[in-house]
Amino acid sequence: MIALSVSLVVPWAAGIVLVLLDGQRRLVGWLAVAALAANLAGLVVLAASVLPGGAVEATTGDWPAGVGITLRADALGVLFALLSSVALLAATVHEVLDGVRERVFPGLAVLLAAGLTGVFLTGDLFNFYVFFELSMTAAYILATYGGTRRELGAALVFTTVNLLGTFLFLLSVAGVYHVTGTLDMAAIGERMRGVEASAGILIAIGFFVAFSVKLGLFPFHFWLPTVYTGARPAVAAILSGGLANIGGYGMLRFGAELLPNQLELAATALIVVGCASILYGGLLAVSRRSASEMLAYSAIGQVGYVLVAIGVGGPVGFGAAILYTIVNALNKTLLFLTAHMRGALVGAGFALGALSVAGLPPVAGFVGKLELFRAAAHSPALIALLFLGSALSFVYAFQIYQYDFWRGERTGPRSAWPQQAVVAALALLVLAAGVWPEPLLALSHDAARVLTGDAR
Amino acid sequence: MSLIFALAAATLFGTGAFLLLDRDLVRVVLGVVLVSQSAVLTLIASGLTRGAAPIYPLTGRAVSDPLSQAMALTAIVIGLAVTALLLVLVLRVVHAFRSRELDELAEEEAERDARLERQEAREHDDEEAAAR
Repeated sequence: MIALSVSLVVPWAAGIVLVLLDGQRRLVGWLAVAALAANLAGLVVLAASVLPGGAVEATTGDWPAGVGITLRADALGVLFALLSSVALLAATVHEVLDGVRERVFPGLAVLLAAGLTGVFLTGDLFNFYVFFELSMTAAYILATYGGTRRELGAALVFTTVNLLGTFLFLLSVAGVYHVTGTLDMAAIGERMRGVEASAGILIAIGFFVAFSVKLGLFPFHFWLPTVYTGARPAVAAILSGGLANIGGYGMLRFGAELLPNQLELAATALIVVGCASILYGGLLAVSRRSASEMLAYSAIGQVGYVLVAIGVGGPVGFGAAILYTIVNALNKTLLFLTAHMRGALVGAGFALGALSVAGLPPVAGFVGKLELFRAAAHSPALIALLFLGSALSFVYAFQIYQYDFWRGERTGPRSAWPQQAVVAALALLVLAAGVWPEPLLALSHDAARVLTGDAR
Repeated sequence: MSLIFALAAATLFGTGAFLLLDRDLVRVVLGVVLVSQSAVLTLIASGLTRGAAPIYPLTGRAVSDPLSQAMALTAIVIGLAVTALLLVLVLRVVHAFRSRELDELAEEEAERDARLERQEAREHDDEEAAAR
């Protein structure tokens, strides 16, 4: 309960103060890092009580249950909050070491952490929207970071498309309230069972489109390459490693827990869209010569795997989807941060990240792919497709590795050691999760049990 | 009543979506505003009861649903904030590009891509020449 409030209130309050200060000063940057570290520490303490003991709930303002807004931390929410917090912390430390270029960056990164923690730990549907919009607003401004024509153009596209997505989400929230009469996410799941089929499907489509835009799935991906290649590496890492988790979390929480009947109905469609995304992202990534463009298209392909796993469903499918989201967020944070760096540790980090994207041992990506294959075991066609996708990702990741590190096409001064150390730490995390996968597997299975309804 | 709300929300959304497709950036912002208004109207319409204003003490008559009004109010505030943000962003883009037409932004992007491609093609030719 205390850990829940601390992990939410600390970044919120600190963020508001930090955006008023001049973030280009070193001290302010490190204060932001401290606030993010406090957020992470609070979440670790929270996870230590939630994972063995079951969900922690709190009602804001001491209102009686059912009247006040509930905050609810269960295994799934805590896991996603932890993941986003790690990605944000790594990217912010990386940028502060490099020298912050605009005064608002540190404060916005902290506010984004507050928004993301809120999204993952809320038990109230409308509150989810408010935190969602809070994190998106911080991200809209972060996308302009750098301030040249390229970033501004990309930020404009990003903001317009994602605003449309959030308003579609709001329309679906209104629909859910009208047909169920509640905003409490635990109660919605039960009451949606008795709802007219056509209303349920309309609501589900609204949520699906809203989260697909966030994830950058195939038909909704058009904004993504411009933004991920236009933004600075730290911002791209924050967007793809932190913010995109909302999409994965939303698909799981809203699809599997709130609208299970509609998810079952749309399972085949989800698998088809997921496969299209895998092939589209993979094929376009192969044709790219620069690391950030390759990563942007790879991001489109990688979320396809998550969607396929959700479409397969059941405890195994959801477990695979959660695990793959975690692995993918770590990969993307690591690889985007290396995008403009040079040095021995950077090369090693990129190689480990590339192995992980391709799904080869001994790194975390292998465990993720293994779980996916386990989920898809009943269908040979799906296995073949997943294999083709992995082969494509092997080609595009190592093609760039060859160009940039073997042939030395990447020019510029060698990066400073502290920055290289951040990359090395992330790479070690990816390696450790692959060498000793039991904790991650256990966590994702715990989280999947929350969704299938037999949580402890 | 629901039908009128639905028609009004649909008209707002449709008009907003149409404006979003325009080349003029100010019209794009107006499109976002209209789409947000359509969402607010839908929130109001999603109220479960209709009647007098829900102000305490209640007079015994039916009151309208206060929750959907609270949600609409929050959505209006958030909509205002993001509209202001979007306008500032457009202003910065206009300053940077000295244009408020989307086409010119896209043209610049296309030019950059073409430049990169030419450069790559040149490198490729150099490589082949070296191999020969």
